[in-house]
Amino acid sequence: MRDRAAVLKDVLWLLAMVGALAIGFRLWFGLGATTNLSDAVPWGLWKILNMVAGVALATGGFTVCLLVHVLGIERLHRLVKPAILIAFLGYGSSVFALALDIGLPYRIWHPFVMGNPHSFLFEVAVCVACYFTVTIAELAPIILERFPRWWPVVRRLRRAIPVLAVLGITLSSLHHTSLGSLFLVTPQRLHQLWYSTWLPVHFIVSAMGAGMMVVVLVTMMWYRLHEPDALQPEPAAEISPGDARAEDGAPSRLVELGTLAAVAAGVLALLVVLKVVDLLRTGAWAALLAGTWESSLWLTEVVVGGLVPVILMLSRGRRRRPGPIAAAALAAAFGLVLNRLDVGIFGYLRDAGAVYVPSLNEWAVGIGVIAAAGLVLLAVAEAFPVFDDGWRQRTVLRRRFRPDFDSLSRVWRTTLGDRLARLSWLAVLVVPLAWVALDPAPAAGRNPREAVQPPRAVDATRAVLRIDGNGDAAWAVTFPHLDHRRRLGGEASCPRCHHLSLPRDHATPCSRCHGSMHAATDLFDHGSHLAEVAAKEHLGGLHPANLSCPFCHLPDRPTSAVTVKPCLECHHGDMTPSPSFEKPHDLRLAPSYQAAFHRHCVPCHKREAERQGRPELAECRRCHPTAPRVVPLELPALAGPALQDPSLATRADTALVAVRTADPPVGS
Amino acid sequence: MTKVAPGARALLVDVTRCTGCEACVQACVEANALDSEAADRDRAVTADGLSANRLCTVRRLERGRWARVSCMHCLEPSCVAACLVGGLRRTPEGAVVYDADRCIGCRYCMLACPMHVPRYQWDARLPFMKKCSLCHDRLVAGQLPACVDACPHEALSFGPRTAMLELAHDRIAGQPRRYLPHVWGEHEWGGTSVLYVADVDLAPLGLVRGARRSVPSITEPVIRTTPRLALSVALTMSGLMWVVDRRRRLMGGAEDDDGENTGA
Repeated sequence: MRDRAAVLKDVLWLLAMVGALAIGFRLWFGLGATTNLSDAVPWGLWKILNMVAGVALATGGFTVCLLVHVLGIERLHRLVKPAILIAFLGYGSSVFALALDIGLPYRIWHPFVMGNPHSFLFEVAVCVACYFTVTIAELAPIILERFPRWWPVVRRLRRAIPVLAVLGITLSSLHHTSLGSLFLVTPQRLHQLWYSTWLPVHFIVSAMGAGMMVVVLVTMMWYRLHEPDALQPEPAAEISPGDARAEDGAPSRLVELGTLAAVAAGVLALLVVLKVVDLLRTGAWAALLAGTWESSLWLTEVVVGGLVPVILMLSRGRRRRPGPIAAAALAAAFGLVLNRLDVGIFGYLRDAGAVYVPSLNEWAVGIGVIAAAGLVLLAVAEAFPVFDDGWRQRTVLRRRFRPDFDSLSRVWRTTLGDRLARLSWLAVLVVPLAWVALDPAPAAGRNPREAVQPPRAVDATRAVLRIDGNGDAAWAVTFPHLDHRRRLGGEASCPRCHHLSLPRDHATPCSRCHGSMHAATDLFDHGSHLAEVAAKEHLGGLHPANLSCPFCHLPDRPTSAVTVKPCLECHHGDMTPSPSFEKPHDLRLAPSYQAAFHRHCVPCHKREAERQGRPELAECRRCHPTAPRVVPLELPALAGPALQDPSLATRADTALVAVRTADPPVGS
Repeated sequence: MTKVAPGARALLVDVTRCTGCEACVQACVEANALDSEAADRDRAVTADGLSANRLCTVRRLERGRWARVSCMHCLEPSCVAACLVGGLRRTPEGAVVYDADRCIGCRYCMLACPMHVPRYQWDARLPFMKKCSLCHDRLVAGQLPACVDACPHEALSFGPRTAMLELAHDRIAGQPRRYLPHVWGEHEWGGTSVLYVADVDLAPLGLVRGARRSVPSITEPVIRTTPRLALSVALTMSGLMWVVDRRRRLMGGAEDDDGENTGA
């Protein structure tokens, strides 16, 4: 058993060491270099996972106090101390992570001196700070009772327990609701599945439910590490209802945990009902049926974090077995973290139009802080009577700091020294690796915010330039500089791009003139045309696609969608009307576009031509400027006179009509 | 409706007159002593042209129109309500200004702004928030904002908000075919101190026509319940505690003592 604890501690130390390194990088290089936060996504992992979710996971401190000290449920008494320790560590680690997240950590005291009472964040800051003080006062007796000199203080603090409990509950309910209200300021940005005026209520209810589950989970992990016997299922006789508060005042630990998990499941059931009712109330349920990734996240969070624990804890049998209790607790904690990430990060991404994946540094700090809190929990619980007095007396006190003689190397070694040696080895192995992975300095060279590269001449006369704007060799453009100058009017045209008239603008982007080149539509894909033309014409060079422009854009005309060569000049053979509906993805070329356009436009043109008595409205030329003067075929009333008029139709046109008559009719 | 202080000024942007020359951006960079190279670069690498080095930008709209975009200086600013240290405030001149000495860098203003305006100095080791201040120091000195001074096409007008609204409605009434019949910023987000008249829809700038309520008008009623919530929770808990304790004491004194001793 001791080995399992040692391995867990090694893992936690490892994570904490990597985290400490990442904290160093964050402080030295700044937020922008070490995180993936941006103007579009200003709040990331540290604030949402460590602060918003971390505080919520530590809610057990106040809910268990509420159950035991206020409602007088004595059978949960043994869970009060673990809950207080978890609250202390949860809040401590959250505040620590928050101090790293804010841009100016040395000003973290500012809110207490210059507060703004209209701000939810101010309310959160003050209540969290006050509640953290309360948890210190609640935790102090557990620590101090080992030192006789402090016993008067311990006695006084014990007498203050009712006051501290009420104070803690009040402060907690304030800041948990305020944490939800934080997100009320973004009615237009947060996804409608999560934005609701009930957010504060959601937050406190989910925090209460999941917080109790975390107390259950941590206590079970402790038992599993140090007292596996404590989790043996009760003999059947003792499971009778109402018997949990056993006759001798020593209820089984599993019964306690099951009871707390059942209470938590009740709260989570309330949460599920609340969330569903709220969704119906705000009308956002439609978004749930939309099948977006947001709706999947919402469903996952409600099913895993709400329904699974509730269903697991419904049956009395499962409430007395460690497996289902642990599963329910784990699911609830996961659901809560997911919910906070949804509200704080995922729900904003669609509006931000940006993707946010936390950087390695962010993960390292976020997880490292939690690991460090875990280490402190283990250290405090091993040194002081938090989970159970018996274990400490049986093992730790006997073993601690006692020198040990190693017969092989013939030296005395202490537990402490052994531990330090082990940690040093771990640090030597891990820290250099982490350094390489986390160091933001080499990445700075690849930063896309670096200055744009000036163009390089491809030939001696600067007739063609190679523009590699972002320094990324994959997307360089071959720019026909001489062509542009000639077309735009020789020497006089320089300011058109080198702007004597545009201040602050040394390098006019191509898109300022070629505004339509990126205007991708469903019908015309410019990018694939570049590649197709380059392949068809066997264009060479580093970027063959860049040489393809003159094949469609005539050299003497401005390059835009309006002046481009007609599609039919290339697609004369393949844009035939489709005899039947065909799936577009089966087709290499686009035979049905003509049909699609014609069916879309022609009927109305025909109607208007007839209504207004203006046959030219129905002519092909109306939409195809370079087409011969022909009227659509199945307009006999109009085709007749138009064709008979020699001024309207040439002989060639008539011939074309004759050919076209053989085609299947369009638009029918 | 929002009360507007008599001294409140406003900036009217006439989108139909703007040619996108960015003289305003140039003037802004100079007036705020920003890094001009960085400002130049950020127009290309940012999604919307605003950054900590470019507090005002000219954004392209449909049909070849351009619009100067910066902080809207809302009449009921969400950022002012959000900032936990009071680092943002609205001045009597109508400008929403930032006090860097108070800022702790929490970036809640960036989250709270409905127009995504506040920007952060991500490259700095000790970063601050940056946004347009409507050249508040120049206003106090009796000067126009730098951008208004610089505009060569008279697309920007500046003056008392009431006068600017009047001007906007006059322009729309005078040339009804030139403008859409709407003054953006008159009511959006509870009213702003930057107003727009245009012949294209300005929803891409975040000025959704229907969004009339200011953010503080949603949050303020909620935060006002705080003292009541605190009091009611404290009283309920104390009452419950008293009732449960009394019940236990009446049921048997021995159990009570037991409970108190193990209570830590």
